[in-house]
Amino acid sequence: MPHSTNGADSRRARNIAFVILGALIVVATYLYLVIGRPTEIADTSTSHASLIAIGGYVVGAVFLAVGSIHRLPTTTVALIPVAIALNIVVGQIVSVIGLPVYLDSIGTVLVAALAGPAAGVVTGILTNVIWGLTLSPIALPFAVVQVVIGIFAGTAARWGMFRRFYTAPLAGLVTGVVAAMVSAPIAAFVFGGATGGGTGAIVGAFQAMGQSLLGATTLQGLLSDPVDKAITFTVVALLLIALPARFLQRFPFAREHRVFGRTGPKATQTALAREG
Amino acid sequence: MSSTVYVDRGSSIHRLNPVTKLVAMLCIIVIVFALPVWWVSGLVLAVAIIPAAVVSRCGRKLSRISATILLPILVVLFVVQGLTFPGGKTALISWGVFTVTSEGLHFALGIGLRLVCLVLASVLLVLTTHPGDLMSALTARGMSPKFGYIISSTLQLIPAFRDRANAILLAQQARGLSVRGSPLRRIKIMMPLLGPLILGMFTDVEDRSTAMEARGFGSTARRTSLVPVPDSSVQRVSRWAMPMVSLAVIVVPFATGAL
Repeated sequence: MPHSTNGADSRRARNIAFVILGALIVVATYLYLVIGRPTEIADTSTSHASLIAIGGYVVGAVFLAVGSIHRLPTTTVALIPVAIALNIVVGQIVSVIGLPVYLDSIGTVLVAALAGPAAGVVTGILTNVIWGLTLSPIALPFAVVQVVIGIFAGTAARWGMFRRFYTAPLAGLVTGVVAAMVSAPIAAFVFGGATGGGTGAIVGAFQAMGQSLLGATTLQGLLSDPVDKAITFTVVALLLIALPARFLQRFPFAREHRVFGRTGPKATQTALAREG
Repeated sequence: MSSTVYVDRGSSIHRLNPVTKLVAMLCIIVIVFALPVWWVSGLVLAVAIIPAAVVSRCGRKLSRISATILLPILVVLFVVQGLTFPGGKTALISWGVFTVTSEGLHFALGIGLRLVCLVLASVLLVLTTHPGDLMSALTARGMSPKFGYIISSTLQLIPAFRDRANAILLAQQARGLSVRGSPLRRIKIMMPLLGPLILGMFTDVEDRSTAMEARGFGSTARRTSLVPVPDSSVQRVSRWAMPMVSLAVIVVPFATGAL
């Protein structure tokens, strides 16, 4: 906001408070569910774990999104619908082709790399809201996972992890591990481990080996999420090279933190030359 | 506009204020998750959701959509938890290495009925409420117009995006791209699809953002709503009453020590 009147300042303080509050609620929810009462929850459905899992995560994600959206310039707001459509359409195509990954966060990671973590957070949560409105409400409780992906991807971009081919998948692996851990309590306490045919079978196999429900969903997530996010981050790094330099200049975040490094514009020109 | 499932049947549920329906859906979800006994979900289903579905005249479409979402989940839930639930002790049926425990089935019933309520309530909301109406109602109540813009614009973009993706896939296949083969090969075909798709869509973004800036999209001034949203005093009261009931449902069991 160009004018820094009293109103704008208080709004800014309110937004920062929302972001901090949202992050605290999400972290507290996870800690309570995983460390707070590890054995008691796993063995019974008559506890408040489900309500806390769904409520804490959804309320935390909403606070994060409300605090983040006001900081976004119009260019970023215009970009987000395209990114969400990209998440949803590619996610669907991938499941139709029958790949063993999800690839439903390419748009989130791309926006976070171009416009920063706040934009990634908004893209992430709204992807799952729209997914819930159009295809399946099952996606709604998992909104917080996309939020985490947005934050991590934005931070990775700020540290220049998208400059090279080999650092992007590394950042993706780390994001995948965190995403798996955050989503495990939702899969366990809201869905009883049954989020889909293949994943449900894996959860059952881990339970049969003596894992608790939460342990089984965590291990199942750790099997698929890191690989999925490593592929997603690599795809995004390749896309960033292919995007025209003029387009990238529209995003102050990408310029300021040199998301593409020095080789960016040159590689873009060769890519453009190849396209003819 | 094939990306929404909204059907206009003109029933009294359709004519309710979108915010009332949203609050009702959230309260139903809070209640079934706050009272973790299976018959609460059954009661909510019988008293609130099924009558609403009948009144809205969307019952058939509701059951078809919900069944495609719920059936795979419920089957997996009962099979996996019935056989491998960690707290399972009482064996009902034993067959070789497989043992179905009653604790496992009880756990699956509790989770399963809750999911049925969650899915039915939210699909019913989406069937009876046009997303545009919900967005303008929420924006009139102080939600950032950016949320409304992003959601409405995405819902319009998805069909266009899908058409574009299909056209690119067909064009690449005409060039000899094979969509069969090993998983690794199939990951490789994502790149010739994604490249043109994203580059094409992103070049449109620049024009759109210039047009939006020229029309004062970033301004924080309060606007007059173009679409008046129907409302009544009964709904205004119920929008306060329903959250109070769900709050009581959360607090009372703690206060009385029932759980």
